[in-house]
Amino acid sequence: MPRLTVNGKQIEVPAGTNLIEAARHAGVEVPHYCYHPSLSIAGQCRLCMVDIEKAPRPTIACNTVAADGMVVLTETDRVRETRKSIMEFHLINHPLDCPVCDQAGECWLQIYYMQHGLYDPRMTDEKVHKPKAVPLGPHVILDAERCILCSRCVRFCDEITGTGELGIFERGDHSEIGLFPGTELDNKYSGNVVDICPVGALTDRDFRFQVRVWYLETAKSVCAGCARGCNIEVHVNRRRPHHAEGRRVARLKPRVNADVNQWWICDAGRYGFGFVDDNDRLLAPTRREGGTSSDATWDEAIGAVAAALRRLSPDEVGVIASPRMANEDLFALRRLLDICAVRRVGAQVPPRVPGDEDHILIRADKNPNSLGAELMGLGGDARPVLDAARARQLKCLWIFGHDLMASRWPEAEVLEALRAVETIVFTGTNANRTSERAHWVLPAAAWVERDGTYTNFEGRVQRFRQAVEPLGQALAEWEMLDRVLAALGEAPSATRAEHWFRRLATVVPAFAGLSYQALGDTGRLVAGSVAARAPR
Amino acid sequence: MSEGDGYPGLTDPATTVFSEAQLAEVRRLQSLYPDPRGALLPVLYMAQETFGWISLPLEEYVATLFGLSPAHVHEVVTFYTLYFREPPGRHVVSVCHNLSCHLAGAPGIIAHLRQRLGVDPGETSEDGRVTLLSVECLCACEAAPMMQVDDRYELNLTPTKVDRILEGLA
Ligand code: SF4
Ligand code: SF4
Ligand code: FES
Repeated sequence: MPRLTVNGKQIEVPAGTNLIEAARHAGVEVPHYCYHPSLSIAGQCRLCMVDIEKAPRPTIACNTVAADGMVVLTETDRVRETRKSIMEFHLINHPLDCPVCDQAGECWLQIYYMQHGLYDPRMTDEKVHKPKAVPLGPHVILDAERCILCSRCVRFCDEITGTGELGIFERGDHSEIGLFPGTELDNKYSGNVVDICPVGALTDRDFRFQVRVWYLETAKSVCAGCARGCNIEVHVNRRRPHHAEGRRVARLKPRVNADVNQWWICDAGRYGFGFVDDNDRLLAPTRREGGTSSDATWDEAIGAVAAALRRLSPDEVGVIASPRMANEDLFALRRLLDICAVRRVGAQVPPRVPGDEDHILIRADKNPNSLGAELMGLGGDARPVLDAARARQLKCLWIFGHDLMASRWPEAEVLEALRAVETIVFTGTNANRTSERAHWVLPAAAWVERDGTYTNFEGRVQRFRQAVEPLGQALAEWEMLDRVLAALGEAPSATRAEHWFRRLATVVPAFAGLSYQALGDTGRLVAGSVAARAPR
Repeated sequence: MSEGDGYPGLTDPATTVFSEAQLAEVRRLQSLYPDPRGALLPVLYMAQETFGWISLPLEEYVATLFGLSPAHVHEVVTFYTLYFREPPGRHVVSVCHNLSCHLAGAPGIIAHLRQRLGVDPGETSEDGRVTLLSVECLCACEAAPMMQVDDRYELNLTPTKVDRILEGLA
């Protein structure tokens, strides 16, 4: 373990640590563009220059390994002067079109220029012009003039996805990022190049020009797109609603979690939030009688569900829970089912198209909480519940989230089941062909509209936090279940999702010892999970 | 890279491929370098000699010989000036425009060639006979102004000498 000093501070770092990371140990940020901790070292941008005692000239920190006794200085006059000159080089051909650049406000050219820039440009020649606003693929758009040729995007496609779409073509000041002619940047992780591009060269076609980044608010969350549970930030636009025609969720960005998703998320997860602000959101409880639907109050809806549960024998009630529900919801449901002694319950409904999977992040199971449902004893196959309905054994069927009509189950069988049940209750965020056939529809808050936790496929319990208010009268599932429990005479127990989590942690052994505080920002493994046992 | 699906490339497969003997040469060249990728330049020259120029399908074909993505072969082809990205004329005339030749009258030589061939540097005469290029120093300053015609040097040029040389090009 080499011991060195950075700006006078003694530190010890693991052997092989480069000077950018070593400086971080000392709380010092070395400005840089091309270095990225998960990509190979390119040494391309030259901005990370530092002084090393006894070295004749400044050295790039990213490609220098910390050595015992090294004395590193990051803020000498010489280093500051060097940075300034390098910034000047980077900007020689830069178009300086920040006012129309979507990256403005989170651009590392702007940030470093404010800190280290040279304020009087000395270039009098015409700048080299390059292609602007070139769509590279479904999600990413390129402005070659703004590119500083750091090659992060190229290395991402070479080293992370292995798809190799991008290259740096031509030479000298005509060099530009591009695709092999005739191809597209359409790999399953393409959006990540926008995140790692330090400047406005690569921007996001979906987010572009929706809203300026300084109007965004963020909440730490977890992707609900598959069983991986990638850590994300939800960026919402509350302050300039008119800028995006009422779209509240502006974008999802990956949040680093070394044990789950490193720096990345897949495109399906990144762009999969459209349903949150979609027109088909369910906004109020509704009742359908004889083919016509009408709005109802929550009290009426809860009363009707509670009455059915009270009136019917447990065998006449079936529940299709969902592995998309949070642990808190599932535990509240578990409690309700225990009280009512309902045993006809399952959560897994086969998707019509089997999910894709790869060796990077994407999991075939597109549910964020299958393991949580399993640990709560609710994770079973829902087929027996459907069959009970078809056999006219059920009088009430409560479906959470699933569109059974879009599952792999034959449509005719689903229809048969739905027709055979007196009272269908549907709880979900958006209308679908199943909700259309329900007698009671209870609108649920989307995951970004509430707090909760999911348990990923490895057994990592991770929190997601509320980013926006629920649309209309939507409630989190645990909230409506709480109300049903109260209507059945249970003492009200929860005003926050966290209360349900506390109860869950005392009852379900796998969750013993966990709390929201213990989960922190990056989650904790349940007891006995495969990942907890595997050597790290 | 996931097995099975190749790197993104053109939909038309390359129709231009090497002979067995050339493939053996590719393997020999690759074995000369610690990283076989080092042989990319000589293999691209082989390709250019065989097919006259480096088309996109040819880049893609060469990429498969190295297990590289076509984008990375395209990087190399676009970086260097000696690979033709369009079919050149039957002869390539490269006039030096660097300092010594410039002082010794290269601008006049280039102007003369433009007028005789009816093309600008970088273009090919309409009859497909000559591609005219103006290039950096070719290392024959002692005989400036000079140009390279295919693989031979023509030195101490004058407009009359240029005319004679052009007449000799079929
Ligand atoms: S497009 Fe962005 S990430 Fe790619 S080389 Fe240019 S500046 Fe770097
Ligand atoms: S891999 Fe799964 S959890 Fe991660 S971003 Fe994609 S869909 Fe979301
Ligand atoms: S970060 Fe070191 S050279 Fe770019």
